[in-house]
Amino acid sequence: MSITNRIQSLGLRLSTLVVYTLLLAPVVVIVLTSFPVSEFPRIPQQGISLRWYAAILENNDLIAALQTSFFVATVASIGSGILGSVTAYGFVRGEFPYKESLSTFMLLPLMISPVITGIALIRFSTDILNMQNGLSRMVFAHVFLTFPYVFLLVRAELVTFDERVEQASRVLGANGTETIANVTIPLIFPSILSSMIISFVVSFGEFTATQFLVTFDSVTVPVIIYTMRREGLTPEISALSTVLILVMLAGVVVSQKIE
Amino acid sequence: MLELRNLTKYYGDFLAVDNISLTIADGEFATLLGPSGCGKSTTLHMVAGLLEPTEGSILINGKDVTAKPPNERNIGMVFQNTALFPHMTVRENIAYGLRMRDAPKSEIQTRIDELLNMVEMSDHGDHKPGELSGGQKQRIAIARAIAFEPELLLLDEPLTGLDRVLRESMRREIERIQNDVGVTTLYVTHDQKEALSMSDNVIVMNNGVKQQEGEPKDIYTNPQQQFVAEFIGKSTILSGEVMEGDGMQIQTSIGEIEAADSQVEEVGNNVNVYLRPEHVQIESERNGHINEFEGKIIDIENLGEHAEVHIRLPSGTIMIAKMDGFPSVDVGMSVYVSFEPSEVIAL
Amino acid sequence: MKIRQIHVPSTLERAVSPRLLALLGCCILAVFYIFPIAMLAIESLAFGSGDMFQVYKTALQQIYLTIILNSFLYGAITTVVSLVLAYILSYYIVFISNKQKLLLGLVIIPLWVAYVVRYIGFQILFIGPIKTVFGTDFGILYSTSGVVLGLTSVLLPFAVLPIYNALNGIDDEHIQASRMLGATSLTTVRTVILPLSMSGIVAAAIIVFILASGSFLAASILGGPGQTMIANMISQAFLELYNIKLASALAAIYTTILLALLLVFNYFVKLEEVFSQL
Repeated sequence: MSITNRIQSLGLRLSTLVVYTLLLAPVVVIVLTSFPVSEFPRIPQQGISLRWYAAILENNDLIAALQTSFFVATVASIGSGILGSVTAYGFVRGEFPYKESLSTFMLLPLMISPVITGIALIRFSTDILNMQNGLSRMVFAHVFLTFPYVFLLVRAELVTFDERVEQASRVLGANGTETIANVTIPLIFPSILSSMIISFVVSFGEFTATQFLVTFDSVTVPVIIYTMRREGLTPEISALSTVLILVMLAGVVVSQKIE
Repeated sequence: MLELRNLTKYYGDFLAVDNISLTIADGEFATLLGPSGCGKSTTLHMVAGLLEPTEGSILINGKDVTAKPPNERNIGMVFQNTALFPHMTVRENIAYGLRMRDAPKSEIQTRIDELLNMVEMSDHGDHKPGELSGGQKQRIAIARAIAFEPELLLLDEPLTGLDRVLRESMRREIERIQNDVGVTTLYVTHDQKEALSMSDNVIVMNNGVKQQEGEPKDIYTNPQQQFVAEFIGKSTILSGEVMEGDGMQIQTSIGEIEAADSQVEEVGNNVNVYLRPEHVQIESERNGHINEFEGKIIDIENLGEHAEVHIRLPSGTIMIAKMDGFPSVDVGMSVYVSFEPSEVIAL
Repeated sequence: MKIRQIHVPSTLERAVSPRLLALLGCCILAVFYIFPIAMLAIESLAFGSGDMFQVYKTALQQIYLTIILNSFLYGAITTVVSLVLAYILSYYIVFISNKQKLLLGLVIIPLWVAYVVRYIGFQILFIGPIKTVFGTDFGILYSTSGVVLGLTSVLLPFAVLPIYNALNGIDDEHIQASRMLGATSLTTVRTVILPLSMSGIVAAAIIVFILASGSFLAASILGGPGQTMIANMISQAFLELYNIKLASALAAIYTTILLALLLVFNYFVKLEEVFSQL
């Protein structure tokens, strides 16, 4: 290898390392700063302690936030799971004009800044739909925020799905609904499930739109992390953040295993 | 019995199936034969109810089913890639059609055993399709299709994708099963060997149009259309012009040819002459045959049980002759080719 | 278990076609999502009293315009930086490394960590380790560079995925042919690899730009007063100023410009394919 090649190669390796650092350092730092013995997150640390995780369990507000997040994420993912799968099925198997544009239309929640979604939905759900419960408003909003993920994933699965199995079922005597129940759904179910878990994960970690939807008695984990920050960065925040990380990563791993 | 009346299918401006009418008798094995895109699969899908015809009607045993959805037509269908349900076992796959007809459980089990026996897959009842080989899957697909004793059996190029040896054995299997069961069968393929060996009735299609219909023997020896003559079997093709007489003398690039029968009779009209390799004789000397021409061997393709010998005539035309086994001729030899007027196909 | 007893009468069966289901989804989305947003825009218009676009005059004042332009500017800078870094990373993974799965995994994992955590982590990174090790934080925190760097760190995986897919899809033979014909590595990159991966680059650019310009948390956590972005401003107008009209107007202006830009892009690159890269 010539000198220029060596320099190029070295340069590339170094740059890659730098980029990975930029990418991963924030997450690593959060995890590491959840273990210190003292009050302030600091690296290098004087020691390792799990007291901050224990503190979470004693803090009712934090426990409540965890419960709220779990609840909202679960219900919302079921909702967007059904809505997204049905819509995806319609888009893949149905024929109608402007299908392409409408498909992109389905992805709008991903493109429009979550701030706008949050404000629009809090006003809509309060004023027009008259939803009194903060929890239900959050679930409502999260269904639409996570809908595109289910839509995309289930649609991708259906596109590669061999229609002939459905045709065989029809010719064998099953009507459309029976075919869907006996053949289609069993075969695409793993995809639906895994996309629902992705929805769960996205909902769990959502902050920007959710901040407008939280109420006194229903706060989610990301929002509480953000507000705690105002009072200063403590290892408690890092600990809670790490819990958040673990929940979300666990979800992703499970979702991959299902595939 | 299956009857198609003026069956037509338009995709926008594109005419895929052009006014196809045919009748298939009870228990008959009929094949739609043609190249890719000729409309055979489209026709089959319309019969199955998976496609809506633009015009025309489909009658099964006298009943018009054109408006009925596939699940009400009582048809069995074997797909190209088997389309077995991957998440069900072999038994469950076969049972599907019977369950959709609310057959009692005990009856279903007996029937499945019967069918597994018929297709010689009795040991595989509890396997999943993923564990089976290509040929095994096709057998199950057939079993599944005939389980509920349909009035009509459709097969959509089921042997594509199988290797030659397997294809040949499956061909015999399908024939045997069809014979035993006696169900009216419509088979679709682009492979003429399959069509000619399995069918009672062959319908040749091209560009959505029925070219010719008849017994395999007829299709092969008496093609009525240029397309059929070219698609079926291999031929040397000569273009010529009808001369004096009643179409029996044809002037071609290699010289004058006498035919015993010609579809084109008007003097001066263009006509194509088709010569099957097995009708072309090769001799080392001139023997005074009616259609006899001199030529030189330029290529010999040894195919095992026979060989294809390519002979170039002075006009530049290359004629193909068939000789059994490994013939004792060499490239470069001067030979005389001849063929009987009765073997000449003139269209 | 075979579900057989669902005897849906034929007429109903044919009525509920896939087309209908798609329509259902579209309608639900339209009513419960699009409509609320449209309503927001309508709220910004003052019906009845004088000038309908009254609030827009306020909204288009210098301060707000600056914020909007800043947002797009930050978006653009972040896009460029992310593209470069993502390209280097993807190139390495596809062509140099033999631990593709691992390295790709390392890129994807942060994607599943909530934004709020990643931005806070970034903040801690500069307050803590960097300050300790280097003595200074290079003035990055609470400045433009902080926001851009933070955005880049967070959005990098979105840039890497499409580019990775594009690079991965390049037939080895093209590259081999180029080398055989005499081109150096660098030239091959410029003349063969770069053009063939253009679709991935464009996709990455669009995704990053959309997410970066609309970002709320980056400026909120890592930025100072001078780095307010449109998302922050809209939020401020709503939560602190209780000025719903202003918030809606700003939202409307920003979204219109964004959608206009996207429409232009859609002309060249189908947006759908872009998002399916994910």
